[in-house]
Amino acid sequence: MKLGELQSAFQAAIIAGDETEAQVVNQIVPKEDESRETLFGVYVHAYLLRHGDYLEEDYPALRGYLGDRSFRSLIKAYVAAHPSRNRSARWFTTRLPDFLRESARWRANARAIGLAELERALTDAFDAADAPAEDIGALARRAPEEWPRLCFSFSPSLHVLQVAAGTLDAYAVATDETIDAKKKAIKPPADDRLEAVAVWRSNLELAYRGLEDDEHLALQEARAGKSFGDICQLVAFQKAEQPAEERLAQFLVNWFSEGMVSAVTVAD
Amino acid sequence: MDQVPRLGYGLGLRPVYYEEIFETSPPVDWFEIISENYMIPGGRPLAMLDRVRADYPIVMHGVSMSLASTDPLDFDYLEELKELARRVEPAWISDHLAWTGVHGLNLHDLLPIPLTREALDHVVERIGRVQDYLGRRLVVENASTYVAFAGAEMAEWEFVAEMAERADCLLLLDVNNVFVASVNHGFDPHAYIDAIPPRRVAQFHMAGHTDKGTHRIDTHDQPVCEEVWRLYERARRRCGDVAAMIERDDNFPPFSELLAELQRMRDIDASLAAQTPRSAA
Repeated sequence: MKLGELQSAFQAAIIAGDETEAQVVNQIVPKEDESRETLFGVYVHAYLLRHGDYLEEDYPALRGYLGDRSFRSLIKAYVAAHPSRNRSARWFTTRLPDFLRESARWRANARAIGLAELERALTDAFDAADAPAEDIGALARRAPEEWPRLCFSFSPSLHVLQVAAGTLDAYAVATDETIDAKKKAIKPPADDRLEAVAVWRSNLELAYRGLEDDEHLALQEARAGKSFGDICQLVAFQKAEQPAEERLAQFLVNWFSEGMVSAVTVAD
Repeated sequence: MDQVPRLGYGLGLRPVYYEEIFETSPPVDWFEIISENYMIPGGRPLAMLDRVRADYPIVMHGVSMSLASTDPLDFDYLEELKELARRVEPAWISDHLAWTGVHGLNLHDLLPIPLTREALDHVVERIGRVQDYLGRRLVVENASTYVAFAGAEMAEWEFVAEMAERADCLLLLDVNNVFVASVNHGFDPHAYIDAIPPRRVAQFHMAGHTDKGTHRIDTHDQPVCEEVWRLYERARRRCGDVAAMIERDDNFPPFSELLAELQRMRDIDASLAAQTPRSAA
């Protein structure tokens, strides 16, 4: 058998989980004290275990929420559907939330999808590109007449998600080691409401929190490059009871102090 | 041949030990990183790596070059590797005599090759192209294997020795892998060590493995066993003062246990040096 043929057959049998595949087994030198199937099985069984480890590492809350049995079933389905095409295992796990959303078995489980999206964002924020956080003094250094034209750049680690309402609470429960695993597996009903969540990295530490509707809107607009003046108008439309400039100023203070903002510029 | 730096005694750099390394500045001469773990845009891993690099030499050890694969070489991967090397300025870059996938897939495992002329020619040609692209000599490690393929035209040590000479590459002699393969395939590990061209060896790996009764698995989750320590002595006698390190990737012990294994390495080497008669000036 040529090298290329051998590699194709060897890989296909591993992915199929078949340590008895005759074309491969017949190529293996027999050993006195062990079957060829057992020896080939070292590779076959390690394949699923290894990929399961990658997924467990990146999605601990999803595992806690689904429970071990259901999570193992998910691992098997995901690995079968998406064998890794990535040079690093780091990127193999990244399609899991999309797989859940596309899969007939899991697409109705909004809570599971929400947890998976949150955990993917945490992983992505963890090793996103570096950008030093801008100090809030950058705002004070701007003349008052420039404020309406101020635009903001954000940390490349910042992700803004909309996930099923209750996802943050479910995440807290699922990652709390003091709570019994059986209780984590209880599935609170997920309704159609959504909650907005910001995930980012500040001084190398991961951070996340929920966003009220108006802050979510303001942050999305700011990330899209809208100026302070434009965003004020939008926030005013959303929440009339408080002056928009005041409300947005609160958001800005938070964004700066939490390390989300990387630069302030003045639009032309 | 280029002069290979004599780095001394190293450890694999793993996140679980970052804080201890920063707090105690342990007596480790150098660290080896898994290259792929740092081929990322930014964040804590690269920040920690920069801190370690400020105080210690670094060696880059990869697991995804897939030198023996019949897929085309992945030059995007090699470019990322080169970029990391520009940042780290490693003493050298290593990867494995293995393949990790074909048809665009990556099984994230070090898969075995048939010991044939065809495979040898293939690997030699690819190492040459990798070295040309990276602009440096590659260090290639013998992998642990659990199956041997029928139709072998040579022993593994003959394959490795000829590969090193023809590709003009260096070798990372994993002493534990030699032992694991010797048990799994029933050969004499001493013959393997004795056939390795010493001037090609840049580095030793030492690690623990799991004994499954009929075969051994290279798990890096145990202390180095006595048989491997004995084989280390033989490798050291043959290859001299090359850099050596302990690999630990799971079941992480207190850092002091890894330092104790390094100390055992130093003690063995001191004992061997004391036995070696000095040459006349």
